[in-house]
Amino acid sequence: MSDFALLSMLSPIYLLAQDAAAGAAKEAFVWSTLVNQAVNGIGIVGILLLTSMGLAITFGVMRIINLAHGEFIMLGAYITFWMQDVFKMDLLLTIPFAFLGTAIVGAIVELTIIRRLYGRPLETLLATWGLSIVLQGVIKLIFTAQLKYVKAPAYLSGSIDFLKGEGGATLVSISYYRFFIIAIALALLAITMYLFYGTSWGRQIRSVTQNRSMSQCLGVNTKLVDMGTFAYGCGLAGVAGAVISALKTVSPPMGQDYLVDSWMVVVTGGVDKLVGILAGSFLIGESNAIIAFILNDPTARVIVLGAVIVLIRYRPEGLFTVQKRS
Amino acid sequence: MSDVVMGYKQSTFPKKLAAISGFALLVLVILPFFVGSFQLSLISKLLLFGTLAVSLDLVWGFTGILSFAHGIFFTLGGYAAAYYLKLNLSAAKNTYGGELPDFMVWNGLTELPWFIAPLKYFPIALLAVVGVPALFAYITGSFMFRSKVSGVYITIITLALSSALTTFFVSQQAYTGGTNGITDVSKLSVFGLEIPPIGIYFLILAYTVFVLALGWWLTQSNFGLILRSINENENRIAFLGYDVAQYKIFIWTLSAALAGIAGGLFVPLNRFISPVYLAVAFGTQVVIWVAIGGRGTLVGPLIAAMLLGQVQNSAEKVTQDWQLIVGVLLLVVVLFIPNGLMSLLPKQFSLANLSKPKPLPTPDAAVPVAPEAMQPEPAQRSS
Repeated sequence: MSDFALLSMLSPIYLLAQDAAAGAAKEAFVWSTLVNQAVNGIGIVGILLLTSMGLAITFGVMRIINLAHGEFIMLGAYITFWMQDVFKMDLLLTIPFAFLGTAIVGAIVELTIIRRLYGRPLETLLATWGLSIVLQGVIKLIFTAQLKYVKAPAYLSGSIDFLKGEGGATLVSISYYRFFIIAIALALLAITMYLFYGTSWGRQIRSVTQNRSMSQCLGVNTKLVDMGTFAYGCGLAGVAGAVISALKTVSPPMGQDYLVDSWMVVVTGGVDKLVGILAGSFLIGESNAIIAFILNDPTARVIVLGAVIVLIRYRPEGLFTVQKRS
Repeated sequence: MSDVVMGYKQSTFPKKLAAISGFALLVLVILPFFVGSFQLSLISKLLLFGTLAVSLDLVWGFTGILSFAHGIFFTLGGYAAAYYLKLNLSAAKNTYGGELPDFMVWNGLTELPWFIAPLKYFPIALLAVVGVPALFAYITGSFMFRSKVSGVYITIITLALSSALTTFFVSQQAYTGGTNGITDVSKLSVFGLEIPPIGIYFLILAYTVFVLALGWWLTQSNFGLILRSINENENRIAFLGYDVAQYKIFIWTLSAALAGIAGGLFVPLNRFISPVYLAVAFGTQVVIWVAIGGRGTLVGPLIAAMLLGQVQNSAEKVTQDWQLIVGVLLLVVVLFIPNGLMSLLPKQFSLANLSKPKPLPTPDAAVPVAPEAMQPEPAQRSS
């Protein structure tokens, strides 16, 4: 989990806060730590947003239960690693290739597997789980199970300091790289929204999800739309993998870490509107960060997951959807 | 009601099924005398995994609830048994003397927590092995099934449950032993006599037979018919006046208890339990066994678990990429053999056919409809 790294980064400040004997001084310290935690929570929000966006499309729009989502993230990370290793490319430059590569794999997967299973969600779930094992196995064959490291570009190292303490100690800060993640996540969200709500391709996708046979009658090539949409969702996962690769070690099972979290974001935000996942990742990321500050990290995860379970029970369509009659 | 199940009421003792299962049982009974100790413990372990898969089959294959949470029930039962065996380590064998298990000493506990202490006594531990998973299942089941949530969302809830519990067990190091789990437990003994591995094997074999028999009896009964109807069309069975949630909660709890006992037997065999068996990966492993073996066939998942385990054991000596083979197999089964490997068996060997004798020739022809025609069609699956 990213949160562990975050907590360890934070702990010196936290201990400082514990040491401060004077009540008032302690109060000030704790507040700034809390703010810092919340700001760093934004970093988690960025990662969640990035990793769940592809899922919001494959599940939210196409209703495909994709358990191989994490593996598409992993594929993106490996593409970045490979390009950096062989061509010494800058991480930013590899992002389009990560998108294209995973999108192509996604299109092939749609053609060969997903297409045969439309309308059978549980079978799709099983097949994509099989696919996730296969993808992990193939990557392990090519790159071995060793951990790989991707370098972040030098101009993205360092951090922005918002608030400095009396002794010059940084109280509230965020690293450029986390800032970059949020920026790229928001940009991708904007692009995706434009594609979905501003172009004829997006209109075709929406019409197919609303009424498949009617769209077919009106001359929409539904099969092509299905393939394109799934490939696009996988491509987004690939971008997420490329961006995250510099933050974490790259290894075949890395995608698994993001699978459950992405699912939680998507079901929390609701799948009706793409904006829902922004709200979903914000809620989950921030509540995780703040509960982790008050209690501890594992407890935060358990509480947040518990809350999501209760949420699914009462509002399976997500928090931010308009109640519809079915 | 009664005319729906007439076909079953007529059935007499299924001779063919009894013959085949009797033969299989005979093989399993004499097997331990011909294999080494490693194979013996491997087969015992696979029988338990198979039993776990059968318990999932009751929930998924028959009732249509796909759960990734069966590892949870297995592990809960396992922990209950592990506490019992750990607390009964003789003081001399315990690393720190005294009563307190080693991992509690490491984590600074000075006395046994009140909720673990009673597990020192055999009857309470036995009750906990069954009761804790069942209670957990009853609570989660009542929470999930008494709502409009269904299908895929239930599956996502079980994913979240499994993920949350793994985090919880890993974080509560002082009480659960953290990532390592509970290791170095004592051997299972009855009245001061240690049970040898072969004894544990027969215990496990007996339990496997019990679970299969219970599952078979349950699914052939009226109750099983209702479960299958829930799988096929939940709304219709609700319109007929059945409380669908009640049935789902019952089978969910029963299946959890069965999985819990399997976990409880796993600890004396394997001598440790850890959160590995809670995690999503193990939960999906169970799902894979059921999917490959064949949903709703009871023996299919058992056979799949045992075969895959054996193949894995030999494949791991040759290649590290054993998981890749499982993935491909799963894909092939889902795409081309949706009803699992059991459906590849010739028709006359299918469970439904074996458990039903030939219809007696009726000279008076009072019942012109053959019993087969009265059964629900198993062919179409909506899920």
